[in-house]
Amino acid sequence: MRRLATIAGLAFLFSIPLWLGNFYLLHVCIITGIFIIAAMSLNLLLGYTGQLSLGQAAFFGIGAYVSSLASLGFEVHLLPDWLVTVDPKPVWFGMACAVVVTGLCGWAIGRIAFKVRGAYFVIVTISFAEVVRLVALNWDELTQGPMALNNIPPLSLVIPGLLDITFIGKVANYYLVLVFAILSYGIIARLVRSRAGRAMIALKENEALAASVGIDVTKYLVLATVMSAAIAGAAGALYAHYVRIVDPNVFLFIYTVTMVIMVVAGGKGTLAGPVVGGVIFGLLPEGLRSLAIAPEVQWIVYGILMILVVYLLPQGIVPALRPFLQHRRHLDAQKQPPADIPASEAMS
Amino acid sequence: MQSSLKSVIAATGILLFASAAWAQDTVKVGVSEPLTGAFAASGNYVTQGAQLAADAINKSGGVLGKKLELIVEDNKSNPTEAVDTAERLIVKDKVPVLMGAWSSTLTLAVMPKLEEYKVPLLVETSSSGKITTSGNPYIFRISPTSEMEATAFAPLAKSLGIKKANFLVTNNDFGKGSMQEFTKMLKGQGVDIGAQETMEPDATDLSAQLAKIKAAGGDTLFVTTDVAQLTLILKQAKDQQITMRIITTGGSVAPDQLIDQAGDAANGSYHLVFFTPWFPDAVKNPDVAQNFTAAWKDKKYNVGGLTEGFRGWDGIYTIAAAINGAGKTEPEAIREALWKVKVKGVNGDISFIKQGPSGKESGQNVPSVYLVKIEGGKVVKQ
Amino acid sequence: MDLWKPQPVGRLPRFRQSLSRKSCVLDQLLQHCLNALVLGGTYALLGIGLTLIFGIMRVVNFTHGELYSFGAYMMFMFVMLLHLDFFLSLVLAMLLGIALGAAIEFLLLRKLRGADIDTTMLVMIGAWIAMQNLEQLVWSGVAKSIKTPFPSSPLVMGALSVSWNRLFVLAVALGLILCTYALVNRTRLGRAMRATFQDPDTAALMGVDIGTIYMSTFALGSGLAAAAGALLGPIFVVTPTMGDLASLKAFAIVILGGLGNIVGATIGGFILAFIEELGAGYISSGYRDAMGFLLIIAILLVRPTGLFSRKERIG
Repeated sequence: MRRLATIAGLAFLFSIPLWLGNFYLLHVCIITGIFIIAAMSLNLLLGYTGQLSLGQAAFFGIGAYVSSLASLGFEVHLLPDWLVTVDPKPVWFGMACAVVVTGLCGWAIGRIAFKVRGAYFVIVTISFAEVVRLVALNWDELTQGPMALNNIPPLSLVIPGLLDITFIGKVANYYLVLVFAILSYGIIARLVRSRAGRAMIALKENEALAASVGIDVTKYLVLATVMSAAIAGAAGALYAHYVRIVDPNVFLFIYTVTMVIMVVAGGKGTLAGPVVGGVIFGLLPEGLRSLAIAPEVQWIVYGILMILVVYLLPQGIVPALRPFLQHRRHLDAQKQPPADIPASEAMS
Repeated sequence: MQSSLKSVIAATGILLFASAAWAQDTVKVGVSEPLTGAFAASGNYVTQGAQLAADAINKSGGVLGKKLELIVEDNKSNPTEAVDTAERLIVKDKVPVLMGAWSSTLTLAVMPKLEEYKVPLLVETSSSGKITTSGNPYIFRISPTSEMEATAFAPLAKSLGIKKANFLVTNNDFGKGSMQEFTKMLKGQGVDIGAQETMEPDATDLSAQLAKIKAAGGDTLFVTTDVAQLTLILKQAKDQQITMRIITTGGSVAPDQLIDQAGDAANGSYHLVFFTPWFPDAVKNPDVAQNFTAAWKDKKYNVGGLTEGFRGWDGIYTIAAAINGAGKTEPEAIREALWKVKVKGVNGDISFIKQGPSGKESGQNVPSVYLVKIEGGKVVKQ
Repeated sequence: MDLWKPQPVGRLPRFRQSLSRKSCVLDQLLQHCLNALVLGGTYALLGIGLTLIFGIMRVVNFTHGELYSFGAYMMFMFVMLLHLDFFLSLVLAMLLGIALGAAIEFLLLRKLRGADIDTTMLVMIGAWIAMQNLEQLVWSGVAKSIKTPFPSSPLVMGALSVSWNRLFVLAVALGLILCTYALVNRTRLGRAMRATFQDPDTAALMGVDIGTIYMSTFALGSGLAAAAGALLGPIFVVTPTMGDLASLKAFAIVILGGLGNIVGATIGGFILAFIEELGAGYISSGYRDAMGFLLIIAILLVRPTGLFSRKERIG
């Protein structure tokens, strides 16, 4: 039954470009998809380890910049007389670099997270994103500063004689993002259901208890931040090679906020939460736009919805729907335990 | 997988143009301007000028017997947003021609989209040389390049007695391009170059840069930015007792607004402008300038914005002439027609010469450049 | 291309070239310090407001920067649109800031008392987004300037100069800081606030009305932020996003000074201003705003309780 629903859902997602016929809406779907991947990565930190990182846009932006720079090539003076020249690399290599570099940044942030918690961790992550933005803005030689990195090549996969795909145009990019989203979902699902995932949730619920039963708190926190950062970095790289321009505003706090709204509204600590929240808050601006509502009003609606969600659905949409779904499942009289109970419930 | 993907990619292109029947009840023109963010003041003026032009054109019969409809999108002074607005205007609203995007950086960001969708862009403000020299055949610029400004200014450098010049420019293609061209021109005349400071487009506290410039000494400070930041610079320069002659380049200065907002801190400053509403008889097409100024004052828009708003007026009139010349609202036909337009604009006669690598030339207009000075709270000829 | 015939300029300004290079360098340093001193006053004002809210209510207040821009816009409205007296406008802007702060506390935070820090933070982020865009809707994205009654010629002291407007801002900021210090340390309300800061439960048991304390604290902090905006608006320009950096800098100052520590926030404000101004003057003007954030990260890594705080951190 569940498997059938999953297959139907996937088939629906794969069929969208075949019947949508409106390239602008497809463009909106692609951007939404990329932000859903970023929101899933944030959920790993916010939902499963309970660390509110408000610097997720930093990983997203670093991924975008690293992949763009590697695929465009660059020249930079690391010291006044030490010129480093990097020739343009294939885009897939750039994206791999993005994942590695953001993973390393995630490792550093994970170490910091162990030292400072709560409000202080939030402020450290915001500061981190802001510092990275200012570096991107001012290190003109490398990043072109406010002039933006332009003409970023699209992703192309070339295996001589076998494969030659360039992801140009909306349909190709839609499938690319969809495949990445499914991969990310799978990786996160595996991680949170593994021993490591259960350890993360345990230390979110009660860190002292988790430590006392021998869970290595630092190790799992760092693992979660590394994974989260790397996935956000991959999303950023996808974004850069789709819109083909990156400027320092990619680090703005508002992008992090968008991801946070998606996660919190959808339901933090559930696998489906960021997807549901992402679809709603990714498509909502277009819906409001088609009602000819000023962009400012859209954002006011955004802000008010965010407050309402915290007040009315503090756990998010997916957990609020769960009793209803479980009731249905009960009627289906399935013998084996359902596979998709969120890990946080499986623990309790 | 491979072949199906390839065919899907090919279908993208075909579908795009099959679904885009560029025929509507109105003739749509896309406008991407910074209505919020660092360049909001200028972007709003240009948009007001553009809307006035569209209204005037519609009053006298529209284009091709239809009404001209401007679809204005806010690019938020941000290059990525500028690309997004171009995408939306072309793919969603299916406009056959665009005007924008004010700042050079914003225009440069939009340029690859023009080649991708094959839609022409009329550039009304941007001054960076790169825009017309990089080989994008969909670019038609009516504003002067920084190089043109520098060349026009060259004879004045000696008569003003410039010995050592400093620069304070926004950290983008607009500011840096201007600094590069003026430095080249001044060096050619044996003028010393002192401090070359940059500032972020949205910076408000420029005391550190000004202190450095003061320490560098010299007799002249060239400033390139938009009007909002310029007001701050004039005020803060006065606070720090900087007595250098301040000359602004780029034409986005709105001297009336400076007099209003910076008070006597504006006195003694020089400005390169492309339209001089203070001396209506000095412009090339006085009747056109008169029409524009009257329409502007009729709407009770800020008179300080005239020097910026005329770009929108000229831009829309040029686009309307091209659409009429093309006889249809297809991007390619409009592009062809743009090469042949001859428009009487507020800032002289508009027509395009070829610039950039052969085979992929962009269109460039050769407009007028004037230097004015603010003295005793009034704009005077210089 | 045509250009008016240039006319020779009569007299060029004269420069003091006789001065030795050394004194020029010293002048520049002193000028930077003077600029930093003026800036530090408003930073301290912002920091104090936030440190009270953060320290007493445990609320990471993202609307702080919005109160700052609210103060500036009110100033614009009173001075430029309603043509009221400049100084009266300043008082009105601050009073409205206090009222808006009280309203935010009553509408959004009252029901969330006792909720965890992340929950209130999300609500404050939502409020911040809504408020900022409301401001943009009402006032448009175009920067606004405010005229001042101060003479446009600066006060000149040798090679140094500072505008009268900035001196006024420094004086008012220092005055407000002293008033706040006196309020917290010398009044009944202040004593109740300090008691709540140390232990809300015990304070409640001792008869302190926590609701009133929270509302007063938030209103006071908001009023100080609005005052800072109203003071700086006329010096710079007023834009809907002017509060974003102000918020983040206020966080930096709070962390520098320690939670709920008024003296710490005051010193922190001045330290941040000096670091920014000297960093911009001698290292790179582009990284001016980065200085504060690098400072936050460095301090939290070395001394997670802030420079001047002996209290246990929260969270």
